[in-house]
Amino acid sequence: MSKQDIPTMESNPIPDTAPDKGPNKTAANSSHSASSASSATAELALSISGLHKQYVNFPVLKDLNLEVGSQSILGLVGLNGSGKTTTIECILGMQGFNSGSISVLGHHPSKLHELSGKVVGIFDTPSLHPNLSVRQSLQHARLLCAEPVRSCQEVEQMLGISRFSKFKIRHLSLGNRRKASIAQALLGNPELIILDEPFNGLDAEGVDDVLALIKTLNQEQGTAFLLSSHQLPYLEKVCTHIAILHEGKIAISDKVESLFSLEKQEVLVECDQHELASSVIDANRHTHLIKVDDNKFLHIELSQFTTAQLNRLLVENNIAVSHLSLQRASLDSLFRHISSEHH
Amino acid sequence: MNGFLTGLRAELYVSLRSFSSKLIILAPSLLVMAQYIITKLGQSGQQARDGLLGSSGDSMASNNAYGYYVDGLSTGLSMLGLILVAYAAHSFAYDRDTGLIRHLIIRRISRRALLLVKLCHIHLLALVSLLMLMLVARLGSGLFWEFSAVVEDGFELISVDEIRSEIFLGLKLALLPLPAVIAFGLFISVIAKTATQAITTALGISLAMDVFKSSLGDFAHYLFASFQSSLLDQSYLQEVSRIVRGYSDVLIDERVLQLNLWIPLPEMVLLVLATLFLVQRKKL
Repeated sequence: MSKQDIPTMESNPIPDTAPDKGPNKTAANSSHSASSASSATAELALSISGLHKQYVNFPVLKDLNLEVGSQSILGLVGLNGSGKTTTIECILGMQGFNSGSISVLGHHPSKLHELSGKVVGIFDTPSLHPNLSVRQSLQHARLLCAEPVRSCQEVEQMLGISRFSKFKIRHLSLGNRRKASIAQALLGNPELIILDEPFNGLDAEGVDDVLALIKTLNQEQGTAFLLSSHQLPYLEKVCTHIAILHEGKIAISDKVESLFSLEKQEVLVECDQHELASSVIDANRHTHLIKVDDNKFLHIELSQFTTAQLNRLLVENNIAVSHLSLQRASLDSLFRHISSEHH
Repeated sequence: MNGFLTGLRAELYVSLRSFSSKLIILAPSLLVMAQYIITKLGQSGQQARDGLLGSSGDSMASNNAYGYYVDGLSTGLSMLGLILVAYAAHSFAYDRDTGLIRHLIIRRISRRALLLVKLCHIHLLALVSLLMLMLVARLGSGLFWEFSAVVEDGFELISVDEIRSEIFLGLKLALLPLPAVIAFGLFISVIAKTATQAITTALGISLAMDVFKSSLGDFAHYLFASFQSSLLDQSYLQEVSRIVRGYSDVLIDERVLQLNLWIPLPEMVLLVLATLFLVQRKKL
């Protein structure tokens, strides 16, 4: 891919759907469930097996297993204190772990420097020298790049921070500091980028730009990503795989669409005869009335039944339908569901 | 060596744009210059007073620049020692606080190489600062006073060559503890939780060693800090200041000389080894 193929802030298309998985994509990702058996043979950017970490007597990570396939984007989600940041710090060699193994592009976390910039970590708090300007920070990062592929000006333009080029880091807003931090990662050609809470402090436009960059780098350069975030709707837009970390363990991990298929389809219906509609729906074995909300909308769960069939069923029973919509399963609902299940 | 040269380049890049580096280089020299100006002003006032009262001061001692040169070196080295221990304590801990160290370690440099980079960088700063200090002390003392042999009643008590030789020895002995001072600062930097804690701890311990070294007796000679120019100076450079003024003819004791030569550097090596061991295990 040429350098120009990476979108700049001004030209970024906003990614609004889960990324297209081309034929060259590996499926390797989740090792938590049995469904990942086929992933064992795939090329892995990151592999964690039986990771155990405890602070004094408090276990933070308990037998954590996780894999990130090369060219895939894994979203790591979890409640506060579930162990996301600890996991990332262990992966990047910032702290040790009690047992288990971690392999990052085939290297132990303490030897990441031997990969000469093929792995990049961007942390929750932007790790930049506060007394350097944005340009100086990038030049400093460039000195650390074994093979820089972009100039400082280019990455500034990509992240839309050109006008802050001469500003000292300490004078920037959190969002712009985060952009400068991400810009550092783009100077080289990393194979794995790990981002901890990358959307914190970014405005809507900034989030869209970062999402677009992630998507483009992944699709055009095959860069694998591990994103840890609370912002589930953003992860949903860009991730190919999701892992939910709960109380130090991966509660579930799979492709995004596979996870969504676990959630039952819910349809929202507005009609004038609620009682009749309720009885018709209850009488059908493929439909189940979940509730009637305050706005008199019927929440209906479908099983082997399409929305068209539901519409026909209601109309055939002389019920006028004024609104019918399929409620798409969201990562948020799935996350809440799994979290409550494990409680 | 695991990114040592890359790390050194990156460290120097930041250093060239940092105020604290400039402070290390300039502060001892500026302090010495200020000391000379204040001393000269004081002497001029005293001479005026003596002239009015008709008494004559000790012109031999007060006009020989070598004494002031050594005083300047002693003051500058005392300040340099304190600044270096604070800077060394700040360096690693601050980079850890800002998260900068994470980038370095993930991308190109091993933890141990990074520590050696810091060690090397601070030594470079110390060297530049020292050269600047020597130059300013020499020019400053030469500007206000005259370099000459120590002469009393027409007799040359100490020749210029002897003075230079003692100054060289005193300077060498006062410089030997500086690498250990830097290593001590880095050691504290690695074990401390924050940069502020590192600086206060390193400076606190340095000043405490200064206070307690007189009460430690002979044991103090097994501490590198005893040979360092400091606020409560017991280094040989302090004695040299008296010798070159003709106030003393007591040369350094052979046993103390040997301890001064052989204690600081092994202690520095021990501190560096301990720091290299700890840095591998430290959460960053």
